[in-house]
Amino acid sequence: MTDRDLVYPPSVTADRHPSDLAEILERVLDKGIVIAGDIKIDLLDIELLTIRLRLFISSVDTARKAGIDWWETDPALSSRAAKDALAQENAELRERLHALESRVDSDERLSAVGATVAEEGADR
Amino acid sequence: MTPPEASTLTYAFAVCHGGALTALAALPGLDTGASVRTLTAGPLTAVVQDVPAAGFGEEALRRRLSDRDELERCARAHHTVITAAAALAPTVPLPLATLYLDDDRAREALGERETSLLTALDRIAGRAEWGVKVYAPAGPPPPAPEAAPADGPASGRAYLDRVRTRQRSREQHHTQTLRAAERVDTAVRSLAVAARRLRPHGVEVTGKHRTHVLNAAYLLDLGRERELRAALASLRRDETDIQIELSGPWAPYSFADGGIADGGLTDGGTADERRTSGRTPS
Repeated sequence: MTDRDLVYPPSVTADRHPSDLAEILERVLDKGIVIAGDIKIDLLDIELLTIRLRLFISSVDTARKAGIDWWETDPALSSRAAKDALAQENAELRERLHALESRVDSDERLSAVGATVAEEGADR
Repeated sequence: MTPPEASTLTYAFAVCHGGALTALAALPGLDTGASVRTLTAGPLTAVVQDVPAAGFGEEALRRRLSDRDELERCARAHHTVITAAAALAPTVPLPLATLYLDDDRAREALGERETSLLTALDRIAGRAEWGVKVYAPAGPPPPAPEAAPADGPASGRAYLDRVRTRQRSREQHHTQTLRAAERVDTAVRSLAVAARRLRPHGVEVTGKHRTHVLNAAYLLDLGRERELRAALASLRRDETDIQIELSGPWAPYSFADGGIADGGLTDGGTADERRTSGRTPS
């Protein structure tokens, strides 16, 4: 092993790029080996904490546990949501169609009534 | 409430094997005034620091990490020490906030895990972790302009068609980017001794303009950086639908549990193992 090949930057504090922080947290929070400490924050606690901070940790499972499920309703991210969106659209269109049909119906009835009145008038 | 017995706790950053770690003393660590030091436990060396019990007890720690700035400060400090140690010796990183009541307890904990730690250290010696992230830019522009509601019921069918087409092309686009991500994974995997999938980041990090489709970590021999970069350059030329980002070298955070990919380690599952899918290159 040649240690010289492996030159890590001695400090990363100058770089405040948010995704850089997300990547560091991703590793520092729940990667690495766990050797039961006497005092520790539950990994799950840290996760929930971090979700609350809206930094990044939003795995499907843990985030859902925390009640964060926006992706399930975003058509861009979920094919199920896409289908739902289409179904919803369909339902709305049906409703509009129904409304239009009943309007047409009542228009027809009105004109029918008008015609009858006209006919009755003519008969007289 | 009984006062704590000791005024300081032992905060552990990492476990190393061999190497000259004296340079670490120059690091501020968690900036508690105490210097970063090493603690010998049999064949292992822990990188530790004394921290005030008042500031790092369970409750204090929880409060501390609830504060975004403080969390960032601690995470960066923790990471900096691990990174520096990994440059000097094979290093197993410990998660943020690994604390022992005193040095003896730390030694004891390390002793209990000596065999598995040595296995892990052996595995990561001479290797580094690289992160590869693949993003899909937000979906393609819809084939037809957004249906104007003013079109009215007359064009209802056309509107539905447009919606369907848009949806289909979005799904196709997503499938294509997932396949492209798989090709990236396969290519990098072929250079690595181990690979792991990490959780993709949410929009809070990526921004709405792109979706994270692959978040993977690879353990590579130290000499293979050039090959890795060449492979990614070639992938970037071929896969024009996706963005590929490389980060590293990292201390082997994702591979610290040693033989996951080999199935060689049976320490009882950590939460980590349930969440990530460690896959073995075939």
